[in-house]
Amino acid sequence: MDPSIGAAASAAIESAINRALRYDPASRARLQKLAGKVLGVELTAPRGTWYCVFSDGEQVVTVHNHWEGAVTTRLTGSATALLRLLREDGATAPKLGISVMGSTALLAELQAALGDLDIDWEEALAESLGDVPAHTIGQALRSAGAWLGGIASRGPRHMAEAATEEWRVSPPRAQFEAFVDDLADTSLALDRLAARVELLRSKMAARRDG
Amino acid sequence: MTDPRKTHFGFEQVPVGEKASRVAGVFHSVAAKYDLMNDLMSGGIHRLWKRFTIEMSAARPGQRILDIAGGTGDLTAKFSRIVGAEGQVILADINDSMLRVGRDKLLDHGIAGNVHTVQADAQYLPFPDNHFDCITIAFGLRNVTDKDLALRSMYRVLKPGGRLLVLEFSKPESSLLGKVYDEYSFRILPHMGQLIAGDADSYRYLAESIRMHPDQETLKGMMEDAGFSGCEYHNMTGGIVALHKGIKP
Repeated sequence: MDPSIGAAASAAIESAINRALRYDPASRARLQKLAGKVLGVELTAPRGTWYCVFSDGEQVVTVHNHWEGAVTTRLTGSATALLRLLREDGATAPKLGISVMGSTALLAELQAALGDLDIDWEEALAESLGDVPAHTIGQALRSAGAWLGGIASRGPRHMAEAATEEWRVSPPRAQFEAFVDDLADTSLALDRLAARVELLRSKMAARRDG
Repeated sequence: MTDPRKTHFGFEQVPVGEKASRVAGVFHSVAAKYDLMNDLMSGGIHRLWKRFTIEMSAARPGQRILDIAGGTGDLTAKFSRIVGAEGQVILADINDSMLRVGRDKLLDHGIAGNVHTVQADAQYLPFPDNHFDCITIAFGLRNVTDKDLALRSMYRVLKPGGRLLVLEFSKPESSLLGKVYDEYSFRILPHMGQLIAGDADSYRYLAESIRMHPDQETLKGMMEDAGFSGCEYHNMTGGIVALHKGIKP
């Protein structure tokens, strides 16, 4: 690969990470504590190698294509698996097919920091639009988010009510539960009957033989 | 055969003693708009070339680095952050106009303390032997009158184990790219120079000097002749630019 392309990719990744961290001071401070540590990331699909070097300066993370120094932790795996490892709660490297070389403490710290990532988008907007428009847009987005969240949480309940009460395509919950109980009782009664029939059959067979 | 008392200044043959002053004239003329023109001419890609150079330098905190023909200080600024307060970066340029622009720019960006500016000729570097951990010369070697002498001078001031990085325009790998690049260099570039910096001739010289500069393999051989070992080069953007690396054994 032409080094200019690699340099462009690493510059874009570096810029995105540091820009995001600017709007989350807590995560930024947490990552600054990793100063001097180096995370090597070797992607198998798509292919590529990057090194993230942490520092306590203004630029918290610098991304390199080429690194000749020591590497604290080296991860090897696909891009999707690595993203899941860093973002998902409870994700572990072996489960995702990622190989880890070196210190796992850095990985654990990164997982924790990225799990708590909370970017202040309103501040980011304010930088380009000004405080008042950014706040207005932020409020509108928060209201829209709350409305959509409400719909998302109430939606299933409303759908269930419509299906049972209005459209009558499924039984009410109580009726369904009573049916399930009856079914369980019938199943037990059948089991008992089958055992009894088997007992009688064995008794009759013993009398016939005797 | 080339007259031994003459050298090239772009496509023109000039007396050896005159080249430095002619080059100085070019850079006095473009210094004020140098960064803007770099961005326009390369579409900003020169930042990526320099970024790769920094990575290949493997610079570390506490090191002493010499940025020859450092001009407006792009590499120096980055090295200054890497070497930290314990390290030192020397921004050297033969041209005082470029050096002044570079020094002002660095100060405006709050870069000071571990950076020193020195007006120096790459052929006769005014530093002790075995002094620097790393030397870079970005887009400067082709303007030097005697490149072999400059390479030997760099070798002298480099510490054993130190590395020299030469970032310079070179020869495109594909002939098609070469033709497009020629059209761009000789037709568009001087017009851009006229429009932005009010100076077409300097940018015509830039295009001509690139064509007169040794290609990748020749420069690698010159570095080996100067004493460097492990010499290698990386073509960038199809060979329009190449980064040569050599280690002082």
